[in-house]
Amino acid sequence: MNTLRQKLAGAALAVPATLWLLIAFAAPMAIVLLLAVQESPDPFAPISLTPSFAQFAAILGDSYYLGTIASTILLGLGVTLAAATLGYPLALWLARLPAQWRPYAFGIVLIPLLTNVVVRSLGIVLLLSPDGLVNGLLSPLGLGRPQGWLFTHFAVGLALTQVFLPFMVLALYDSLVQADKRLDEAAASLGASRIRRFFAVTLPLSLPGLRAGLTIVFLLASTAYVSATILGGKKVWVAGMIVWQEALTNLNAPTAAAMAVIMLVWGIAFAVLAERVARALTPWLQKAGAKPVALELPPELARKLVALGDTAGGIVARVLLGLAIFLLIFPLALVVVQSFNDVPQASVAGFRAFTFKWYAAAFDASTYLRDTQNSLELAAISMLIALSLALPAAFALVRAEFPGKGAVAAFWMLPLALPHVAIAVGMLRLLQWFIAIPPFWGLVMVHVVVILPFCISMLRTSVLQLDRSLEEAASSLGATRGLVFVTTILPNLAPGLTVAGILAFLISFGEVTVTSFLTTARMQTLPVRIYAEASFSLEPTVHAISALTIVGTVALLAIVNRFVKLDRVWAR
Amino acid sequence: MISRRRLLAASAGATLASPAIFGLNAVAQIRRGDELVVGIWGGAQERITRQHIVRPLEEKYGVKINYVLGGTPERRARAYQERGRPSFDLIYLNIFESRQAVRDGVTQAPAIDRVPNAKNLYESAKLGGYGVAFNPVTVVYDKRKGEVTSWKDLWKPEWKGRIAWPSYPGAQGTAALLMVAKLFGGSERAIDPGFAKIRELKPFAAIQGSQDQLYTMFDQGVADISIEFGSFTRSYAESRNPNIAVANPVEGQVIATNVACPTVGTKNQALVEAFVDLHLSEACQMQYARDIYYSPTVSGLNIPADLAPKLVMGADVNKLVDFDWDYTISQQAAWTSRFNREIAG
Repeated sequence: MNTLRQKLAGAALAVPATLWLLIAFAAPMAIVLLLAVQESPDPFAPISLTPSFAQFAAILGDSYYLGTIASTILLGLGVTLAAATLGYPLALWLARLPAQWRPYAFGIVLIPLLTNVVVRSLGIVLLLSPDGLVNGLLSPLGLGRPQGWLFTHFAVGLALTQVFLPFMVLALYDSLVQADKRLDEAAASLGASRIRRFFAVTLPLSLPGLRAGLTIVFLLASTAYVSATILGGKKVWVAGMIVWQEALTNLNAPTAAAMAVIMLVWGIAFAVLAERVARALTPWLQKAGAKPVALELPPELARKLVALGDTAGGIVARVLLGLAIFLLIFPLALVVVQSFNDVPQASVAGFRAFTFKWYAAAFDASTYLRDTQNSLELAAISMLIALSLALPAAFALVRAEFPGKGAVAAFWMLPLALPHVAIAVGMLRLLQWFIAIPPFWGLVMVHVVVILPFCISMLRTSVLQLDRSLEEAASSLGATRGLVFVTTILPNLAPGLTVAGILAFLISFGEVTVTSFLTTARMQTLPVRIYAEASFSLEPTVHAISALTIVGTVALLAIVNRFVKLDRVWAR
Repeated sequence: MISRRRLLAASAGATLASPAIFGLNAVAQIRRGDELVVGIWGGAQERITRQHIVRPLEEKYGVKINYVLGGTPERRARAYQERGRPSFDLIYLNIFESRQAVRDGVTQAPAIDRVPNAKNLYESAKLGGYGVAFNPVTVVYDKRKGEVTSWKDLWKPEWKGRIAWPSYPGAQGTAALLMVAKLFGGSERAIDPGFAKIRELKPFAAIQGSQDQLYTMFDQGVADISIEFGSFTRSYAESRNPNIAVANPVEGQVIATNVACPTVGTKNQALVEAFVDLHLSEACQMQYARDIYYSPTVSGLNIPADLAPKLVMGADVNKLVDFDWDYTISQQAAWTSRFNREIAG
């Protein structure tokens, strides 16, 4: 009886997020699936209910498409690996920084997410062009490329690593902050060197965060297409570009949808794999007292490796940290310089003359200011809704057992694995119903769909690592469940909630792929305006806006940090 | 000044049309409080049209004109989805998309008699809607590295490995492909020579996907030559990079047009036409010419002598190379696939 009630309670926690996705996501998703099994590419052909696998056959039987799929997956894996390698030292640095400096460090991590993609890409162009910094460093070593490094997989990978690095860092951050410092101290007191402590204590304890980070970055990197379009110069093709091109320039939704479904399949495969591996490596999270997996090396080899790690580890970690910070703040320099630069277009590299006119333009009430306000309101409301749906969902995933839990969890991650262009293609077919909804709430509906998987994924890690003995202690002292939640659980989730909230806010604030199909005359967001201007010629007003956004975010973080520490309660 | 003959014609038309007008109230009249939704590009184009069209119309009629800003592909995809029950009253498209949209019943063919300024449109601007600006495509290059007087100069050794080829599809890439086919014995319907000759130019320094991207390539020394809109490249050269020249090849420049396309099913027909009429007005056309060197699509404007040589006007308009855009668009998917495999890869 009791178990039935528990199951019902667990299932109830899963209801809000599921319901939201059923209303706002299942319909476009179903349309994408339906489009993928259409035989005729004609945009006006009636939807046929007899499935045809012609589109899949065409894609999978074509070596060009197969090559593109393979290179997209490899690129995604490469970016994920790079983000983990650079993100880990950064997250560690962030987690160990004194609390008063943390808002500014967060600011650094978030810079790429606060900077428009066109601006960021220009930074990469400056790095990789024939006379750019990378060639400048490599040429003396005989490794330079006279034609520069632009329009290569390396350029696209670098751009994607830069923009997705923050996701990795934030996913790791909460895990690292939460790790019980006493374990590290215990290992140290037993004489373990830093490198041994890292591999035996720090890394295993952060595996849930690492899993979330790897999954998120891989899904984002393998569905992205804007950076590839700009920095790959059409020489580098990724699957997302094919979806975009088929759906929009060729008006061939069925081929686009079929490619999107293929992308969805590999996205889910990666997520499932990451989940399985993480579970296998963290048995103590599933069953109390389980023995961790240990790598058995011949003692001689192990000794040598530890010695090598102890000598080189610190240097390597510092170099990686330096690289990561450079990669993140490089666009900032560009944004600040360009926002005061008196040049005709944003893509001009040299400094001409000082001006405030772009800031004046940014405050023009009729255009940017109104759009910025729209974007801020949209992001704030979407973030609050997404968090309030994700929190019970995270508890359902971690603490409840109910039938169909696996399927529900997979369903929640789908919006992340389906390329956003495909969501847009699905939404397009629903446009006539969509425009019946008030424009603001229509966009909120879609934005929550886009950010919900991030929130669930990150909060799940936070809930997983909650110290349940604290709750038991509170209960044993007579606290009601509500009181336990407010006094014990929420404060311990504060860093996780804050980090997930920041991320959700920024994704919504910057979302343009889906939004650009759904904006109406009365409801335009800032990124859509910037994108529209970039379609003609971008002016440095975007830089002024980026600079203001960065300053605003850091200020906000500093204020937040005064009230909700970005830290565990007991860690202080 | 409205001529007497035109006034007579207009009143005769009005008399004849009046029975129909009673039935089509919303279509034929502009009423206070009407709202128009226009899908257009951002940046300079938004600024100019707001000044010369939106403000005067809102003041004169007490209407509200709303813009949905964005790139052509998004609004085109949306207009196709909303065929017959559009949320846009007017969308701006490029030359071949506009003609296809008319054929597909998404947008209207022009009604020259209902838009006074449209009677001065060049013939090539009366297809697929109302052409509002000519924006021809030509070779643009770094004049320190060589000179270009013919499209065939692209095959000269000085440009080898330094070309930023325009991506296909897109106005520039389409113009480039068709022009090359035509130069080497092919045509729209015999495209093979085009692909073969472009392949000969490989390796490319880059494939460029937009004018802004190309200008960054020029700035950074990534490429020396490309195929692009001459108009905006000229303002780029003047304001930012004096080494870049806009060629006027002997074979001609390829026509490209921005087209205003009223949607089929708009409930604001009269207001849409008033909007287009102002876009074709001398003031608006002149502003486009002055600010971004878009050439006027109406004849008989008083263009200052310093501006005229930078534009395409009069007899030169008829020299612009034109193609069978209907056939071209029907081949777009197949050619895209070929371009991705043979040229870009």
